[in-house]
Amino acid sequence: MSETTPEQGLSGREKLDKYLALLGPMAMIAALLLLMLLLEPARYFRVSNFDIILKDAALYMPMAMAMTLVITTRGIDLSIGSVAALTAIVMGYMVKSYGFPWWAAVSIAISLGALCGLINGLVITKLKVPDLIGTLAMDLAYRGFALVLAKGIVLSRFPEEIVAIGRGSIPGFLPVPVVIGLVTIIAGYIIYTRTRLGRYAIAIGSNPEAAELTGVPVNRYKVYVYVLMGAMAGLAGVMLAGKLNAIQATSAPFFNLHVIAAVVVGGTSLFGGRGSMIGSLAGVLLLAMMINALVTLRIEFFWQSVASGAVIIFSVAFYTWIQMKDRDGQGGFMAALKTPENRHLGRFLLIMAVIIGTLFILGWLFAGETTAVR
Amino acid sequence: MTNSTEPLISMRGITKRFGGVTALEGVDLDLYAGEVLAIVGDNGAGKSTLIKILTGVFRPTEGTILMNGDELAMNSHSDAIDHGIDAVYQTLALADHLTPAANMFLGSELTKNFLGLEFLDNKRMRSEAERTLQERLGVTLRSMDVSTDSLSGGQRQAVAIARAVYHTDLKVLVMDEPTAALGPRETARTLKLIEAVREQGLGVIVISHSLDDVFAVSDRIQIMRRGRRADVVKTSESSSTKVLGIMVGAPTEQVAADHE
Repeated sequence: MSETTPEQGLSGREKLDKYLALLGPMAMIAALLLLMLLLEPARYFRVSNFDIILKDAALYMPMAMAMTLVITTRGIDLSIGSVAALTAIVMGYMVKSYGFPWWAAVSIAISLGALCGLINGLVITKLKVPDLIGTLAMDLAYRGFALVLAKGIVLSRFPEEIVAIGRGSIPGFLPVPVVIGLVTIIAGYIIYTRTRLGRYAIAIGSNPEAAELTGVPVNRYKVYVYVLMGAMAGLAGVMLAGKLNAIQATSAPFFNLHVIAAVVVGGTSLFGGRGSMIGSLAGVLLLAMMINALVTLRIEFFWQSVASGAVIIFSVAFYTWIQMKDRDGQGGFMAALKTPENRHLGRFLLIMAVIIGTLFILGWLFAGETTAVR
Repeated sequence: MTNSTEPLISMRGITKRFGGVTALEGVDLDLYAGEVLAIVGDNGAGKSTLIKILTGVFRPTEGTILMNGDELAMNSHSDAIDHGIDAVYQTLALADHLTPAANMFLGSELTKNFLGLEFLDNKRMRSEAERTLQERLGVTLRSMDVSTDSLSGGQRQAVAIARAVYHTDLKVLVMDEPTAALGPRETARTLKLIEAVREQGLGVIVISHSLDDVFAVSDRIQIMRRGRRADVVKTSESSSTKVLGIMVGAPTEQVAADHE
């Protein structure tokens, strides 16, 4: 037999690699907390406020879980907002106009979401429409169905069980939607690491040709992933209807971008093959905390989109740079930090932090004045 | 190095036409257990087509494939794998983001049941992969837990070969340009892997453009020219000049004489 000398052990950087997905959002969460500690500690650090943050985040957890798998296969689903609105409208009609029991309506809503996902998957795999265009077009179609069904009506006052799904609390424990959200994330983690679905999602995203050659039924698993995505969008529709205790056809307009942002911030690569469930959870929390911070600082609501956009660009740029460094990572983490590339990155991070911090402070000062005028 | 007198695989009179184009014309091939047969030839000589017929990707227009004297009928690559014939592609067909073990078992994962549900048995796949690499190829990866793309070219090759030899009934391993993208050190490692596979009594077919590698590792060389078998030579009784001469179709003595 030939010699058995291992080439080299693991470098420190590689050991750190696994936690990288968490490091990004965690650092941003820490920065955000620090900033809020300086600016608005009294109103931000309250149990009731964290309750609000968690409930906001919970709504996105199921979708972030499924979107992590979708993006890991190099796919994308832009239709989830419309799927959520459509399923919530259908559920609303079933309980309000046709007297369905709440549990039947909820199960039908989730199944309808799964059906929408199935259609998305078939459009992509059978009709060979690229996922970006295919799900964008289906987004229009599902939104159209919702509008046709609901006209301009707002459906409201749902049974208390459905409201409980959206905003109920378990005494002495977490709110119901948070429990649902965390359960889906845990299920997602198990799917990602311990089932064929997760394993094949990575393989398909990493190297579709290789997956095909080794006998992975690529198209079938792509469809499965979209079905899961649709079902989770349906669940989110139910949760949204319960949370607001009202729903209309134009609800949930930016679910898709919000969820994609959370997943990407959490370290899942848009180029496929690399995903992180825990990272997605952290991403969802970060976005919820950021939006809550903007509200707490009395910055105008519309700045939310600007902040979300900035966070997406920032994270994708960050992870791309980290990947570049990966190529020549021989001398460990500290050596890697000293390469010119990463000095550059360090400067970039610092500048970004300063800009974002300045924006926050400016907004806070500015917003303080306008509230006085109001 | 040929241990047995009966060939493990014998392809007889293989002809393959694509529309009006004849890629192969009455080609024979014999492969014995425990030998490395190299197939060389110019571009378009029919090496790849011949190998794709052996691995079930193409069906021959005419001709038969015998394994231990029995005729094989193969309609797909998975049929070939069922008969114990597998290939390692030039691209290795590895999913770079997965661990070596996950790659080795991709498409045929080991599972365990929990509450009636099927889950991946990552622990067992990891230990089986480590054992296969160690025992059959003599390779210890620098880590079983990193993604495959952080391994060196030779180690990636080892993972791809381990995937093929894990199935204990593998009899024939086909390697398409195994050293094409590798540096000298990685090439040497890969040639060692090929020798390790041969020592276990498998028949190995290597397609290569590098005559140096062919002479370093093969027992016999089949030379293809314009869709026909030009010649088969024993490596120990030949030289690269001779083989090159047959490849380009020059009279052997002439080339040898010119060379001297």
